[in-house]
Amino acid sequence: MTDLTANGFGSWLVDSVSHADWLDDQRRLSRAQIGEQGIPTSKQEDWRYTSLKGLLEQCFTPVDETITALAPDDLEDILIPGLDSHRIVLVNGRYAPDLSMPGEIPKGVRFDSLRTLLDTDPDAVRDHLNRPLSALRAGVEDEPQPLFLALNTAGFDDGLVVRLERAAMLERPIELIHLSVGMDEPRVAQPRHLIILGEGAQAILIERYVSLGDSIYCTNAVLDISLGCDAILRHERIQMESANAFHLTGLYLNQDAGSHYQGVNIGLGARWSRTDLVTDFRGEHARCELQGLYLAGDRQFMDYHLDVTHSVPRCTSRENFKGILYGRGRAVFDGNVVVARHAQKSDAAMSNRNLMLSESAEVDTKPQLDIHADDVKCSHGTTVGQLEPEMLFYLRSRGISAALARRMLCLGFAGEIIQTLSSELLREHVSGQVGQRLESAPLD
Amino acid sequence: MLVVNGLKADVGGKEILRGLNLEVNPGEVHAIMGPNGSGKSTFAHVLSGREGYTVTAGSATFEGQDLLALEPEERARLGLFLAFQYPVELPGVNNTYFLKAALNSIRKSRGEHELDAVSFLRLIKDKLKILHLDDSLLKRAVNAGFSGGEKKRNEIFQMALLEPKLAILDETDSGLDIDALRVVADGVNALRSPQRSMIVVTHYQRLLDYIQPDVVHVLSKGRIIRSGGKELALELEEKGYGWIDAEGQAA
Repeated sequence: MTDLTANGFGSWLVDSVSHADWLDDQRRLSRAQIGEQGIPTSKQEDWRYTSLKGLLEQCFTPVDETITALAPDDLEDILIPGLDSHRIVLVNGRYAPDLSMPGEIPKGVRFDSLRTLLDTDPDAVRDHLNRPLSALRAGVEDEPQPLFLALNTAGFDDGLVVRLERAAMLERPIELIHLSVGMDEPRVAQPRHLIILGEGAQAILIERYVSLGDSIYCTNAVLDISLGCDAILRHERIQMESANAFHLTGLYLNQDAGSHYQGVNIGLGARWSRTDLVTDFRGEHARCELQGLYLAGDRQFMDYHLDVTHSVPRCTSRENFKGILYGRGRAVFDGNVVVARHAQKSDAAMSNRNLMLSESAEVDTKPQLDIHADDVKCSHGTTVGQLEPEMLFYLRSRGISAALARRMLCLGFAGEIIQTLSSELLREHVSGQVGQRLESAPLD
Repeated sequence: MLVVNGLKADVGGKEILRGLNLEVNPGEVHAIMGPNGSGKSTFAHVLSGREGYTVTAGSATFEGQDLLALEPEERARLGLFLAFQYPVELPGVNNTYFLKAALNSIRKSRGEHELDAVSFLRLIKDKLKILHLDDSLLKRAVNAGFSGGEKKRNEIFQMALLEPKLAILDETDSGLDIDALRVVADGVNALRSPQRSMIVVTHYQRLLDYIQPDVVHVLSKGRIIRSGGKELALELEEKGYGWIDAEGQAA
C-alpha cells in the first residue's frame, strides 16, 4: 500500500469499516491516488494562490467517536429563532439524532444518515458513491480525483442522504447544521452528503457550518448533488466555522434537462477555507446560479474555485461572487466556465467584485471563459475597489459617524447577495453576522 | 448664526476662495450667485467639511463654534445641512434605513431618545407629503436609479426630516425643469422659519423667483464683491455677470 504519510495527510485516514466490496475498491483507489499525487504546490493552477502550509502544520486525526454529551439546550445560540425547518444536526461530522428535529417528512421524501444506510442497505447509494465524481470536472474518466475529494472518499464515515422521488415537494427547508465541538486533539471531519432530487422534485437546503468554542479543527465536506429533469433546488450555504478552523467543501453538481439550481455561498468564518464548486449539465435548458459573498477579515484566507461546464446546448449559468476584505484578509476567486464544442446557445455570465477596506488586504481574482462553441452568449467581469469617498461624505454630512457610514456601505455592497437568500430570517441572520464582523474590523 | 471671516481655501494647490466674508442671522435666506468657477460650490463644500479642500486663512463659526475644526458628521449634528448639487447614489443602502440612521445619530448627539420604527415611519410619512413624494421611495436604495428631479426632492425631503438650523442648497435648481423646480421650491419655502437660515447657491436668478431671498451676494473669483436685496438678482439677470466683474475691476 502507498505510504500516505509521504504527503502529510496520513493522519487523516484510518482503516475504515468494510460495508461493501465496491466501496472498499473506491477507498483503495482513492488512497492510491492520494499517495501518488503528493502535496499540491503553487505550480499547479488550482493551487497557484493557495498555500497548504498552515493546514499541514496541524496533525489532524479523524473523529472516531460520536459525541453524545450535547443536549438540545446547547444549540440555543446556534439556532435561528423562528426558522421552521427539517433540522438535521451533525456533530463533528456525525449524525446526531438527539439534536436533530427532522419533523414530519412528506411522502416521497427520505432523509437518512449515510452511516446508517451503509450499515443497512449500502446498495441504495451505490450508483452515487461508486462513480468517479471528479470526472464531472475534467470530463474524462481516468483523471485522478483532486486530493481533498480523494481524502473524503477514502475517509468519509457519515453524512446526510436526502432523496426526493419524482415530483416530491418539500415546503419547509432542510436545515443541515454542521456543528463542530472542540476536542483535546485537532480533529478532521469528512462528511459526505448525497442530495438526490427526482424528476420535477423541489426542495430548499440550508447548510450551516457552526462551532461551539474556537478550537482548531478541520472540515472536509463533499456534497454530491443530482437534479433530475425539471427539478429545482435552492441551496443556501452559510459557513461560520470557528476563527481557528480549516474548512474545505467540494460541491459536485449534476443537472438534468430543465433543472434549476440556485446556490448561495456565504463565507464568514474559518481562518483558512477552500470551496470547490463543480457543476455540469447533462440535459438542455438547465439553469445553474452560483451566488457568493465572502468576508475575509484580518488573517483570514478564503478561496473559491468554480468549475462550470456547459457540455450540452441551451443551458444557462450565472456566477456572481462579491467579497469584502479587511485587515490582512486574503481571498482567491478562480472562476472557470467551459463551453464545449457542441454546447451551442449556452448562456454564461460570471462576475467577481471585491471591496478592499484596508491596504494590506489582498485578492487574487481570475475569471476565465474557455469557449469552444461559436453561437453562445458569455461574459465575465471583475472589479477590485475601495469605498467611494463621495459616498462616505454623503452619509457623514447627514450626521452618520464614519464607522457606521462604512458599515452601511459594506452592507449595501453585500446586500445584493444576501437578498437572494430565501427567507427573511436567514437574511437578517446573515446581515447581522456581517454587520457584527465589520463592527469589530480593524480600521487602517 | 454663521460668521465667515476672510476665508481662503485651496483645491489641489489652486486658490479658489480668496478672503470670503459672510454673516447669516437666524431666519435669513441668503442667495449666493456667481458665474461658473467663482467658488460657489467650493464654499458650500468647505462649510460642510468635504475632504480635498485646504483652508489656508480665515475662520467660519457656527453659533460660536469653530466649524472648520469639526468632522462632517459633527457639523450635521450641530444643525448644518448641505443639499447636494449632485446627490450621491448609494446602491444597496435602503433609504428608510439611511434616514433613520441619520435622524437617530442627530437625535442621540442632542441627548434625545432614538425614535422607534413606528414613530419614525409616522414622521416620515408626514414629511413625504410636503415634497409630494411617493412612499415607494422609502423602499428603494438611496438615490439609486432616481431621476434628477427625484434626487433633488429627496435632498429637500432629508432636510425636512433632519430639521437643520442652517441649510446650504448647492445649485438645487440645476437640471430641474420648471415643474420640478416649483415642487422643490415649495418644499424649501415650507421649511422656512424664524429660526432656520438658508444659503441658496445658484447660477441663475430663476430659482429666486420661487425662493425669495433676504440678501443676495455676488461671488466672483472667490470673494463676495457685492451684496444687496433681491433686486440685485434681477439686475444681474438683465446685465449678466460681465457687468459686475467689470464694475468690480473698475472699483
